[in-house]
Amino acid sequence: MNRTVLIIGILIVAAVVFVLFAGLGKDPSHIDSPLVGRPAPPFALKTVGTGEMLDIEKLRGKPVVLNFWATWCGPCYEEHPTLVASARELPNVQFVGVVFNDDEDKIMRFLAERGTAYPTLLDANGKTAIGYGVGGVPETFFINPEGKIVAKFEGPLSTESLRTELAKAMR
Amino acid sequence: MIAAFFLIALLQIKVPDAAQIVGPPQGSPLTGAQLERKTMELSSQLRCPVCQGLAIGDSPSIMAANMKAQVRELLERGYSDEQILSYFEKSYGQFVLLKPKFQGVNALVWLLPVIVLAIGFVLVISKAKKLETAPPAAVETAPPAVADEDPYLKRVREMVEKS
Repeated sequence: MNRTVLIIGILIVAAVVFVLFAGLGKDPSHIDSPLVGRPAPPFALKTVGTGEMLDIEKLRGKPVVLNFWATWCGPCYEEHPTLVASARELPNVQFVGVVFNDDEDKIMRFLAERGTAYPTLLDANGKTAIGYGVGGVPETFFINPEGKIVAKFEGPLSTESLRTELAKAMR
Repeated sequence: MIAAFFLIALLQIKVPDAAQIVGPPQGSPLTGAQLERKTMELSSQLRCPVCQGLAIGDSPSIMAANMKAQVRELLERGYSDEQILSYFEKSYGQFVLLKPKFQGVNALVWLLPVIVLAIGFVLVISKAKKLETAPPAAVETAPPAVADEDPYLKRVREMVEKS
């Protein structure tokens, strides 16, 4: 009897240790997106500055780097130069910025001070961000030329991480 | 003129719509107190993605407020509870549901406590049965030891016997 209790106890402890150990290397704030592998949810939003409408579905045929950000987000300042430089270096890739819950004047000031090389869209009520399952900004989606989401990156992009994720959309 | 321009721009704006994700509404459109009550009820079942374990109904964050507004709008349009939860789940994954679904690894959350309780119950019952059927332990009736008796006590006993 004591042996049975001991074995059951060891099994329960081993299972708990395994679950805890498996979670050690993971980022607790990371959420796997169910959208990866599925068509990018369609949207058309107003471009900041020009007021022109940009429809994501009309960008088919090119890989798209879709970056959700905001001027009130600290890490977005950090990744902005990487995005602008990459957009200038990679003319065959369409970069698109989507800003949610922000003021158009603040966005214009941000872009005037730090430069821009691609359209920035205004998601005034955050509905596009919700449709893409955006938790916190910055978050970036990589869309292949067929319009399918192939990767999602949470946090500020470095040149290396951008190239690594973009390679998945270029295949 | 300016108002007309903004109206045209607003009409052209297209956002990911619930109809494309969970189909046409399957419930009845809600209004007034019923809408408020249902919005609160569903908001308590959805996790705020930028908070630490808070429901969107309890969070002061902008993201939670946006999600709550979306819940209200979908209820106004006649979407059912299941459709609304499914709409958020398809964007955020099961993470967004504060009450995990009974499927896959999540089923363990529901099953494990019952299994552990059942194992404990079986162990207690089998132990109790063994105690009932075990023969009673032999009562030791050994005579009191005399050899190591206290010499003072021995002397008192002898004096009592003499008298």
